[in-house]
Amino acid sequence: MQPLLHLENISKRYGSVRVLDGIDIAVADNEFLTILGPSGSGKTTILRIIGGFESIDGGRLMFDGRDLAAVPINRRPFNTVFQDYALFHHMSVAENIGYGLKVRGRPKAEIATRVADVLETVGLGAFGARYPAQLSGGQRQRVALARAIICEPRMILLDEPLSALDVDLRAQMQRFLKSLQRRLGIAFVFITHDQEEAIALSDRIVVVNHGRIEQEGAPEQLYRRPRTPFIAAFLGENNLLSGVLAAVDGQLGQVDTAAGRLVATADGPLPALGQAVQVAVRPEHITLSPASAATRDALTAEVADIRFLGANILIELTHPALPDTVLKVRRLADGSAADFRTGQKLNLSWAVHDAALLVPGG
Amino acid sequence: MKQKAPFIDSLLGFTAVVGLVALYAPLIAVVVLSFFQITRLRGVIGFAPFSLEPYAALVANHEILSALATSLTVATIASLASLVLALMFAFYFVTARRGFGLLMQVMVFLPFLLPPIITGLALLIAFREIDFSRGLATVIIGHVVFIVPVVYRTVLVRLQLLGRSLTEASLDLGASQTQTLVHVILPQMRPALISGLLLAFAISFDETLITLFVAGSETTLPIRLWAMMRVGFVPEINALATLILLFTAAITVAIGLMQRSQGERAS
Repeated sequence: MQPLLHLENISKRYGSVRVLDGIDIAVADNEFLTILGPSGSGKTTILRIIGGFESIDGGRLMFDGRDLAAVPINRRPFNTVFQDYALFHHMSVAENIGYGLKVRGRPKAEIATRVADVLETVGLGAFGARYPAQLSGGQRQRVALARAIICEPRMILLDEPLSALDVDLRAQMQRFLKSLQRRLGIAFVFITHDQEEAIALSDRIVVVNHGRIEQEGAPEQLYRRPRTPFIAAFLGENNLLSGVLAAVDGQLGQVDTAAGRLVATADGPLPALGQAVQVAVRPEHITLSPASAATRDALTAEVADIRFLGANILIELTHPALPDTVLKVRRLADGSAADFRTGQKLNLSWAVHDAALLVPGG
Repeated sequence: MKQKAPFIDSLLGFTAVVGLVALYAPLIAVVVLSFFQITRLRGVIGFAPFSLEPYAALVANHEILSALATSLTVATIASLASLVLALMFAFYFVTARRGFGLLMQVMVFLPFLLPPIITGLALLIAFREIDFSRGLATVIIGHVVFIVPVVYRTVLVRLQLLGRSLTEASLDLGASQTQTLVHVILPQMRPALISGLLLAFAISFDETLITLFVAGSETTLPIRLWAMMRVGFVPEINALATLILLFTAAITVAIGLMQRSQGERAS
């Protein structure tokens, strides 16, 4: 099926600095796609390229089978919600929202009806006559959204739209965005550096780092099967242990680490023997048992700290052969962890399929 | 917290008072003398009773009225032209590559920083060289050269404060460059445009030195005043000076109000 929007092998330079390299993203009709990355990763540049605010140095940008290279910003068939909302402060809410129709020369009566409709859609029915300065952050956000959807584009771009909101409001706006996207049935291309937000909202996530795509997939897939140490550390929490690939058996690899030999499961193709790899294990996947019960493949570590975090207990352990690493283990705070104490030696173990074998830089 | 230093406090206060008196006494004297003329009877100096006679004489003086008309025409055209030019320069500066922008910055400001006598002389020579006869047009050109930097500064600051995102949002919503300018950029810059215009008008209205060089047979109000002083003092001068003072003060207050409302908008 032909994607709605297709970025084909896009590259971009600022002077001699390569900010984007071989970016390939396909956005399907009706999809909530998130481009996730730390600041400076190039994610905003990708959005600005789609919007037409930045040129490209290589590759192709296709929308609905049409090359957008020669299409200027104001002719591109989608709209943007800007990070700072970019509302026009000298116009009322209704004028802001109706702007896209007004510059297209639509009749006044039609603009009024459609503005009223869209105001209703974003839950700002009574606010048309107000000015942006009289609104709260969340309300301005809704105005910016309304302004972007009034021309009924098949896709909108959202540049970190929730980053200026406080935590409660952000959770509320996340639910609203998701339900709006389903109701409108259009594609959302959403930029964020917040991995929790990305996981909560997206149908699919593209993780960008240093101007390249690190990995893409459904949120659960990325969380469960990270392919690189960056993804493993960036999405949720992970224990990362460095080592060298010593033996291979199917998708299983044996890794020699400073703490001994560990077995881990690779998601993609396995690297060559002798290559530096990492083993990632989620804190919630580790089982703790008393050290006396000597088990094969188990690490023995000493409890350094126990932290009560409400629903969870976080146990931090140190291993003599891993001086720079704090091993983290999470337990539900249901009383089962009550007998752990600082200084105690414990065995750490996990199921082989819960240990991910990662290739740095791959 | 206020430190107690009575000596320094009173010294500062005293200096301030002396400074203000020195600044304003001559101005106040002119205003007072325009209503109460000095009389000299058998060597005794005294004041005539209150009279509007100098103002009446001023209104009856056709030369002064025509000079005033010239000044108003010049100031209006020069400030509008400067505003348009300054806007164009400012738009260029925010979009231009760094090197070109900087070069333009220097070129715009140079005529303002140069001594006016140099600017005036340079313009005079240039007009002579290209055989451009001196008159209203040359006065306006001279004023524009001098005023543009001031307006440019005011406009540029506001434009840079606006940033790119409003322009981008407007284009993103399908507006053309022209629609963006008319519906978004200019309305957002309105306070800066008005205060720039007022400032330009005030400067043009008072400009004397450059005007002297390029005026030819045209006479603006400051030049008329200058000419009247050379042939001897007449009471109308006080009246005229008072009116110019009032007018300039009014513009200054207007600019102050504009900039305050602009500050409130921005915050």
